[in-house]
Amino acid sequence: MLPASLDEAVDALAAAPAAVPVAGATDLMEAVNAGRLRPAALIGLGRITELRGWRYEDGGTAVLGAGLTHARMDRPDFAALIPALADAARTAGPPQVRNVGTLGGNIVTAAPAGDTLPVLAALEATVTLARAGATREVPVSHLLTGLDPVRPGELLTWVRVPLLHAPQVFLKATGRSGPARATASVALVLDPARRAVRCAVGAVAPVPLRPLEAEAWVAGCIDWDGSREIDPAATAAFGEYVAAACVPDGYGAEGAWEAVTEGPSAASVRLRRTVSVLARRALGRALK
Amino acid sequence: MSTDPIETLDADPLGLAPQVSRELRPCASYTLRVNGFERPVTDAWIGESLLYVLRERLGLAGAKDGCEQGECGACSVQVDGQLVAGCLVPAALAADSEINTVEGLSAAGGASDVQQALAESGAVQCGYCTPGMAMAVHDLLQRNHRPTEVEARQALCGNLCRCTGYRGVLAAVQSIADARALEAEEAEEAALAEETAAAAAEQPVEQPGAAPAEPPVEEPVAEPPVYTDAWIEHVPQPPAEEIPATVGTGHGLPYGADGQGGYDTGVYDTAVIPPVQGIPAQAAEDQVYFPQQGYPEQPYQATPAHGTYLPPGAGYPDGYPQQPGYDGGYDAPVYEPTPAHGTPVHGAAFDGTPAHGTPYVPTPPHGVPAEGSAPAGVPYGATPAHGIRLPEDDHAS
Repeated sequence: MLPASLDEAVDALAAAPAAVPVAGATDLMEAVNAGRLRPAALIGLGRITELRGWRYEDGGTAVLGAGLTHARMDRPDFAALIPALADAARTAGPPQVRNVGTLGGNIVTAAPAGDTLPVLAALEATVTLARAGATREVPVSHLLTGLDPVRPGELLTWVRVPLLHAPQVFLKATGRSGPARATASVALVLDPARRAVRCAVGAVAPVPLRPLEAEAWVAGCIDWDGSREIDPAATAAFGEYVAAACVPDGYGAEGAWEAVTEGPSAASVRLRRTVSVLARRALGRALK
Repeated sequence: MSTDPIETLDADPLGLAPQVSRELRPCASYTLRVNGFERPVTDAWIGESLLYVLRERLGLAGAKDGCEQGECGACSVQVDGQLVAGCLVPAALAADSEINTVEGLSAAGGASDVQQALAESGAVQCGYCTPGMAMAVHDLLQRNHRPTEVEARQALCGNLCRCTGYRGVLAAVQSIADARALEAEEAEEAALAEETAAAAAEQPVEQPGAAPAEPPVEEPVAEPPVYTDAWIEHVPQPPAEEIPATVGTGHGLPYGADGQGGYDTGVYDTAVIPPVQGIPAQAAEDQVYFPQQGYPEQPYQATPAHGTYLPPGAGYPDGYPQQPGYDGGYDAPVYEPTPAHGTPVHGAAFDGTPAHGTPYVPTPPHGVPAEGSAPAGVPYGATPAHGIRLPEDDHAS
């Protein structure tokens, strides 16, 4: 029930495929308390110390344990490594939740408003899924979109994140000033080696969205060799571009038909404005 | 809570009760270490939260059940020294962790300095959020002895209070930090004084009747302590051996019912309950509510009759600023002609319109933080933590 090592946990999961692996339990217990979930068994992952840290790997990659808590990711040493992930962890919730909520749990739960998800999508992270005797690597976007979901008996163990050594920004809009669920969030990272801007918008759809065309367009507007400056008008246009790409006309409307006939719904106009401001500010802050 | 299906199954040979097997309602028995005491929990459903187990099975009702979603912070407890929401911790997985609840703050019998300060600074109204606040403040001051206001706000951002707001709590944080710093300073001085005294004494003098350095360490009693704020009703209890083992620890009977018409508030044995002590903050409260009997001594001075001449120096007896009498001469302000154009105004120095050709420094675009405006402790351009007001919050477009 409380395995102390990864191998034990994987074996326990193989023995009882219906058991729920639990790390921080913040999402699980919310569902249990609300009566939406009755777990057949629990496998606590809190004792697996190897998953609670991170290590470096050749090729400029950080391998983050799935049991890394949000509070740990908020610390300055981690923030120097992957600033956007630290920002997302810092704003993810109250201290009571950040102290136990984990990165792996955030991915596996795949809540639309999960704050680390757009960051991982923008960083193009990959996750390691372990089974008894085997592991496999899956891009985090494939996992989130259901293209390659977690199979029974598999445990999310590691998250591989490239170290880009460039500005990264995570911004979110919430309904109040304290810790709250995001109404929209934007993660934006610069990849100077590939001369790319990667951006992901969270909380507006069930999965984080990547406005690929807007990214490609804005990467062409940036003077990569010089001071990495950009025309403010281009920043604003990038915001509009991202918003238009990520929020459909019929957002929040009753049916798709209505949206087609009546133009953008009021909810979509509002959300687009939020997303465009977030994206504009994110790009502005990343480029200074 | 309805009766436990498993127990019903055992007690119902005809099988009229819903057939719920252990497979569908997995249970576990474990031992929780709460405030330093081992508390066994038997046959608890694995989905029970730590909050539920603490309140309903162990009788520790300090942590409150607010939202069951981790939003309100009323259920805050410490697990392995970390502040967590008790409603979001599966109790079965906290089995070999060190759990500290708000009852543990006042384990010595009286309120801890945190609780005292919260009460004194007016941070308590309905009191529902207060145990969680007390745990959050305790946790904050454990990690950070001198929190700034922003740090205090960040630490308390997960505790919602709908009555009084948070100023009282923030004031309490500062007062506790000050008091503790003073205490530490005094202790340091005392230690220093002792050291110098010992050095001055030179030769070790046998202290007459010196007490043994350590009193004999008492074995921790097997019974958990009864906290002074616990409400205990003394009812005649049947002898202990007649009580079935499941009383107060399971779902089998309505909680606390002992089957004899009496209620037991938990697994406590009332035979060993020490007398409930009074609340120790009483003296301080008396001072607050009954400051002084009578008015401060001051001779009564009647308002003088109309037309009574008050000499200019007399003024008002109780310290009002002296008013100029109507008889006084009118001090006409000295006429100052309007200065000529271009004369610098008093105060702000006018440094003139810049000469033509001065390089223009454009206003930075929105969203670019001004120089040095990033809050301390936050890397440049990062999303700051909760509680920090951003410059752009004021003119969000």
